[in-house]
Amino acid sequence: MSNPVLVIGAGVAGMTAAVELADSGIKAILVERKETVGGNALDLYKAFPTDDCFYCFEGNRWRPGIRKCFYRSALIDQPNITLKMNSEIDEISGAPGQFKVKLTKGPEYIHPRKCTMCGLCLEKSKAFHLLSPQCQPQAVVFNPEKTDDGAKQAEEECPTKAINLNAQPVEETIQVSDIIIATGYHELQPINVDEYKYGKYPNIITQLELAKIIDPNSDSGGVLVRPSDGKPAKRVMMVQCVGSRDENYYPYCSKICCIFALKHASILTQERDDVRVSVVYMDIRTYERYERYYRRSRESGVEFLRGRVSLVQPREDDTLDITVYDSLLNKYLKFTVDLFVLSSALEPPEGMDKLIETLGIKSASGFVAAADPASEDEVVIGDHIYACGTALGPAEVPESVTQARAVVSKILQSRK
Amino acid sequence: MAETKEPAGPPVTLTEPIEMSKLDVKFREEIHSMPNGEELSACFACSTCTAACPIANIWKYKPHQLIRMILLGMRDEVLSSDEIWLCLTCFQCQERCPQKVRVTDIFFDCKNLAAEEGKIPANIIGLAKELLEKGQLYTVTADWEREDMGLEPEVPGLSVDALKNILKETRTNKIVDSGE
Repeated sequence: MSNPVLVIGAGVAGMTAAVELADSGIKAILVERKETVGGNALDLYKAFPTDDCFYCFEGNRWRPGIRKCFYRSALIDQPNITLKMNSEIDEISGAPGQFKVKLTKGPEYIHPRKCTMCGLCLEKSKAFHLLSPQCQPQAVVFNPEKTDDGAKQAEEECPTKAINLNAQPVEETIQVSDIIIATGYHELQPINVDEYKYGKYPNIITQLELAKIIDPNSDSGGVLVRPSDGKPAKRVMMVQCVGSRDENYYPYCSKICCIFALKHASILTQERDDVRVSVVYMDIRTYERYERYYRRSRESGVEFLRGRVSLVQPREDDTLDITVYDSLLNKYLKFTVDLFVLSSALEPPEGMDKLIETLGIKSASGFVAAADPASEDEVVIGDHIYACGTALGPAEVPESVTQARAVVSKILQSRK
Repeated sequence: MAETKEPAGPPVTLTEPIEMSKLDVKFREEIHSMPNGEELSACFACSTCTAACPIANIWKYKPHQLIRMILLGMRDEVLSSDEIWLCLTCFQCQERCPQKVRVTDIFFDCKNLAAEEGKIPANIIGLAKELLEKGQLYTVTADWEREDMGLEPEVPGLSVDALKNILKETRTNKIVDSGE
């Protein structure tokens, strides 16, 4: 039983599971499809319920390391963790406890340990770029489609010889005892929900897109701007339940959008100048500790409208005329806004159906489902197969962390 | 719930509440059992239907309120409302409904129930009469329009006689007869 554990997905849940396993002396192979770890959470400026970095929750305070960075540096420095970036799972076979996993690791153009992020290559060629100062691995990334002479020059002149433009993808087969599915979620791009006209006009965006704009690391430095022209936005309207609780799209409640919207509305009204926010809702679901959040955002001047959006009409200056039916007032209200933000459903990520089929596990609305829905072991998916975080369906960060720790606890118990 | 006796004296409050025990609790089931009523009880009162409706701003009862009234059992109010007849049947409410309630179709069901009870507005009966007499609702008159578009003056293949004969045997005829 000394085989390593495979963790699929290096978002909040996957990273937590990998680090906790590694800290307990179990080898973990962390596979991530993208170029940086962090998943969707990487794009979030602040995380609820504390409005702070999600790794600064009480339980992590004793850890050394700085804000937003501890788990990510552990991913490189913890000897029990093998991090595989740009990697995809091709095949899973073998019996539970002795899974054989075939995977393809993307070409390693930049050696993550050698790169010092000095910035020399960024000056030489547009093929190199830095995803975020907090990206992990702490290294620039290379886009082979933009290769030019500057890139070759950078390869020669890189002071630490971290660049290898001839890197090739590597196929390998590993044997693992347990599999943890931490594949996360994808935010629905609501182009099919006609009435909101998403994708047709630049100032109609989703909540995750708004999060990227107001992140201090964004192009605007965290200033609320309109995507159409980069000018400051003053009037914002949000609409809830876009594609969620909707039998035509996803029947489930996406669970975090209410709080997500309240968080953004509060940030905008409290920390930005002269921004007015209206939230169009049909039910506000602020379960557990979040009712306080709702109250605070009302106090800070966020306008709540109970009803639905009737009509969205763009104007020539890229602002939007929005007619809302207020069901409490029984009147139609007309607004002119700079930004129209859709609280879009969380959906299963690409490839989820294939993974569910390969492993022969249960599914609920496209997400991974517990092996025995009646049991309290919601993270146990099958024999030696576990899941945590939003792979199991919409979840907040603390819940994802709790589930990841539950998975680690289950694995430790099974190896006693 | 058992019906309670009318309390004597002035009302306790001035809100004039709708007396629930006087509503028709069967109305909900009646609509529910009709061909389009299956999803009726799925309504979670989001008011998307009213937001979608292009003409509800002039309605006394908005689409979501009519659905609510059906669920509560306000049979008389719904079946004698003008709104079910004013509906343009554009199906926007039904298209957008997140719970797949067949709002427009339910209004058709309501119209059918109202018609059976003889609750049809006079202008609707007028339309039915027109249909019976002429076999069509809109007679082609503006010939120059057809001419401008390079079409022959008469609508080719238009035969209203057969339709008139069929309509005579349908409920449309009965409605007109009883309405006059």
